[in-house]
Amino acid sequence: MLTVLPKFRNCTCIARKYSSAVVSSTNQNENIEIRKLKFPPKYQKPRQVWLENLDTIEETKLGLLDLHPSIFAANPRIDLIHQNVKWQTLYRYVSYAHTKSRFECRGGGRKPWPQKGLGKARHGSIRSPLFKGGGIIHGPKSPTPHFYMLPFYTRLFGLTSTLSIKFAQDDLHVVDNLEIPTEELSYIEELVKSRNWGPSVLFVDDTDIMPINITAATDTIKHFNLMPVYGLNVYSMLKHDTLVLTRSAVELIEDKLLTHLHKNDTRAVMSKFKVDQQ
Amino acid sequence: MPNTVDKALNLLRFLPRVCLANIRDNPGSRRGPRRGRAQHGGDKHGAGNKGSGQRQNYMRIGYETGNNPFYLRFPWEPYYKGHHLKRQYPPLSMLDLQKMIDLNRIDTSKPIDLVAILNTGLYKLFPDQHQFGVHLTDDGADIFDAKVNLEVQWANELVVAAVERAGGVITTAYYDPHSLQAMLNTKKFFERGIPIPRRMMPPPDAIEYYTDASKRGYLADPEKVSEERLVLSQKYGYKLPKIEDDPDYEMLTERKDPRQIFFGLDPGWVVNLRDKVILKPQEEELLKYYAS
Repeated sequence: MLTVLPKFRNCTCIARKYSSAVVSSTNQNENIEIRKLKFPPKYQKPRQVWLENLDTIEETKLGLLDLHPSIFAANPRIDLIHQNVKWQTLYRYVSYAHTKSRFECRGGGRKPWPQKGLGKARHGSIRSPLFKGGGIIHGPKSPTPHFYMLPFYTRLFGLTSTLSIKFAQDDLHVVDNLEIPTEELSYIEELVKSRNWGPSVLFVDDTDIMPINITAATDTIKHFNLMPVYGLNVYSMLKHDTLVLTRSAVELIEDKLLTHLHKNDTRAVMSKFKVDQQ
Repeated sequence: MPNTVDKALNLLRFLPRVCLANIRDNPGSRRGPRRGRAQHGGDKHGAGNKGSGQRQNYMRIGYETGNNPFYLRFPWEPYYKGHHLKRQYPPLSMLDLQKMIDLNRIDTSKPIDLVAILNTGLYKLFPDQHQFGVHLTDDGADIFDAKVNLEVQWANELVVAAVERAGGVITTAYYDPHSLQAMLNTKKFFERGIPIPRRMMPPPDAIEYYTDASKRGYLADPEKVSEERLVLSQKYGYKLPKIEDDPDYEMLTERKDPRQIFFGLDPGWVVNLRDKVILKPQEEELLKYYAS
C-alpha cells in the first residue's frame, strides 16, 4: 500500500480556489501596464490571467493580463505530452545491461563428449545456449544508447499543450517578479500553502540570474524549483503541481513559441540537425 | 458553439491534475520491434525455406531465368528519344498562386517573378533536373482576381486571359540554368560574392515561344503584345481593363531587361551583403560584356 500511495499523490483532485476578490487598491492598478499582444489572434479571444505578487503572503491581484490563445489555450494533446516525456527520459538513457554470447563465454572449445556411442544427445560445446552457464541468444549488449530526436513540431506542441493544460487546470500563475522580502524558508512555504499552490512549485523567470532571497529560500526545499525560460520543458512542468511564471517569462515564452509556430523555413533550418529516427 | 479545443480545455477543469503518472500515448500508435520467441521463433526469421527467398539473392529485375527477356525482345522503339534533354516546367496552378497571394506569401504591390514565387518556400525547382521554371496552369483560372505583374516561364492562353481580365499583365520569360541557380536561393548566391551573371538568350527551339506576342513572350514586340491583349479579350469576352489609367501603372509596366535576372540589379554587379554595398564594374571591357 505504501508503495502505491506516492503514485496517486499527484493525481488527487484538489478543491481549487477558482476566484477571489481583487484586494488591490485602485492606485496600485494604475501602475501596472496593460499587456498588449504583439500578434493578436484573429479568430480566438485572448485568455486572461491575474497578475499576482510574491512580496506578501496574502495574494494581491495587481491586474489582469492577456495571454495568447495559441500558446495558453492550444489543443491539449495528451499523446504529444506523453511522447515528449518519454523522449526526455529516453534520450539520455544508456542501458548498461550486458550478456555474453556463446562465443564470448569462457571455455566451451572442446567437444564435451563423443558424437556417437554414449546414448546421450549430441553437443559440440558446453557454452551452447542450451547449457546451464551457456551463452545468451539475442541478449542485451552494453552500452545501448536510446538517443533519438523527437520531431520539431512534436516538441513545440508538447510545450503549448502542457502550458494550456496548466492554465486550464488553474495551475499556472503569473507574478510580477520573483522578489520576496526575506530568505526565511517559512515565508515561501507559508505563501505557497496559503495560496493552495500544491506541494511542488516551479518558478520560471526569463533570466537564469534569480533574486537572492528566493534562491536562498528555495535552495533546501527540493519541491520548490527555479528555472529560466530556456530550460522550460514538458517533464518539469508536469512534475511540479504548479507553474509560476514571471510576467517577463510569459513575454519571452509567447515570443519564442509564436515565432516557431509561424515561421516558414523550419525544414531548411532543421535539416542540419536531422538525426535518423528509430 | 465552442470548438473541440475549448471543450477539451473546459473538461480539463473538472479532471484530476495532468501529471507524469496519468499521461499516455494514443492506443495502438506505436508497435515496438518484435522478435519471435519459443520453439520456432528464431527459425527462419521470416525469410522462408531454401532458394533465392531465403538467401535473398533475388534475380535482377526483368530477368526471366534464361528466356529472352521481354525488355530485350523488341529491338528499338524510341518513344522517349531525347526525353532526358527536354526542358521541364514544374506546374503551379492559378489556385495555388491565388492562395499564396491571399495568405500574404507574395506581395502583389511589386512585380512577381520566379524569385518571389521561390521565396515563398512553397514551390520547389531543381535546375539540375532540367527544370526551367514555372508552368502556370489554368486550374482556378475562373476565380483568379489578383491584379499582378506576373512573369512566369510557361502559360497557356486561358491563364493569360485570366490574368489580364483581373487587370494584370503577364510575361513569359526564359532563364538559363545558371540564372535559375542564382534565383533559387538569392541570399546564398550573394554570399558567394560572384557577379550576377547575364541571362542567356533562349535556345533555338524556345526562341519561337518567347518571341510570340500571343504567348506574351518577353522578346515579343510590345506593340504586338498590346494588340494581342485586345484580341484575347474579345475572344474570351471580357472588357480589357485600361492599364494606362491604373494607379499602379508604374508597377504594372515594369519589365526586366532580357539580360537581367533580378529586378533592380544589373548583370555584372556584385552584392556584398556583409558591408551592404553593391559593387559595379567600371572596366570598359566588362561593361561591353554585360551590356544587353
